[in-house]
Amino acid sequence: MSIFTSVGDAESRRRADQLAANLTGMGLPCKVEPRAALAVLLVESGVAARLADGELRRAALALAREQGFTHLAVELAPPGADATLPRP
Amino acid sequence: MSRIVDIDNAERAAEKEEALAAWLRACGRVAIGFSGGVDSAYLAVVARRTLGGENVLAIIGRSASYPAEQWAAARRVADAFDVTVLELDTDEMNDPRYAANPSNRCYFCKSELWGKVVPEATQRGFGTVVDGTNADDVGGHRPGMQAANEHAVASPLAELGFSKSEIRERSRALGLPTWQQPASPCLSSRLPYGTSVTPERLHLVEQAERAVRALGVTGDLRVRYHDDVARVELAPAELTTWLEPRRAESLRAAVVSAGFPRVALDLRGFRSGSLNVLHGVTTA
Repeated sequence: MSIFTSVGDAESRRRADQLAANLTGMGLPCKVEPRAALAVLLVESGVAARLADGELRRAALALAREQGFTHLAVELAPPGADATLPRP
Repeated sequence: MSRIVDIDNAERAAEKEEALAAWLRACGRVAIGFSGGVDSAYLAVVARRTLGGENVLAIIGRSASYPAEQWAAARRVADAFDVTVLELDTDEMNDPRYAANPSNRCYFCKSELWGKVVPEATQRGFGTVVDGTNADDVGGHRPGMQAANEHAVASPLAELGFSKSEIRERSRALGLPTWQQPASPCLSSRLPYGTSVTPERLHLVEQAERAVRALGVTGDLRVRYHDDVARVELAPAELTTWLEPRRAESLRAAVVSAGFPRVALDLRGFRSGSLNVLHGVTTA
């Protein structure tokens, strides 16, 4: 039994949506998949590369912490994939 | 300034090593729980130099949670420094308390380990069994230390106040290849608490880390298992490099080739005990 049964939890979803909105407002368009205290960013190809900027990364981490996420990771999508769609 | 600090560290470490040699001489014969990591390798080599080959036995506990590459590294160190090794199979995977992966999982693993190592060492005439716990380890979330205490396993590096940096300093001075080796806890540490530990999941994580290493990553690395997602933690200084699109794609492809459907790169980078933070066992 996985611990990640909270993926669909309403409060978790709300915090993920808020984080996505905040990141998008900062110039990082994305969706956020919550997995307990881990937030996984789903981004279009090219957006992940912007996170190579350390300042941007730190700002994103701070926004994640504001929403109660202890961990933030960006999904590395295969070339050509629409990363903003939920994965199978 | 940093040079002065380094000299102080080196002198302090050398003094502690003299105290360690005296501690070991008082024991006469020692068996060491040996993983081939930085700490136990250093302890084994100092013991070998101090007591002679016939009075030191390094015991490796082998199971699916012990990475094959770590085992190979342990054997290389032992061979290079003429340390006698005994290998014992441990069976923690078949203990449902361990397999359920509670936050004190390490207690059940170490109970199994020391429950086999201590009697074997005693039977072979080694009255003292030691481990490589160091002073930096004390006070963290380390339920395995309770099992060591219950089996009367001594931790001379912790007892004598060796920090990790001092152990690395003395390892470098003694020519151990482990001196700058990243920490290498068991593979089960890649699974979040509550996610059951199975040989298949450990194999998946091990294969993924091997694939990433093959790309040239030599520093800290963890592939954390989150069901269908592999969350890769690299040294923070490496993140800029691996977020570059072509590098990111090679990283993704490597982890996918190991069997994970999806790959995510942690944006804070490697942190020891990351999953303890995730579950609120420790703070960030």
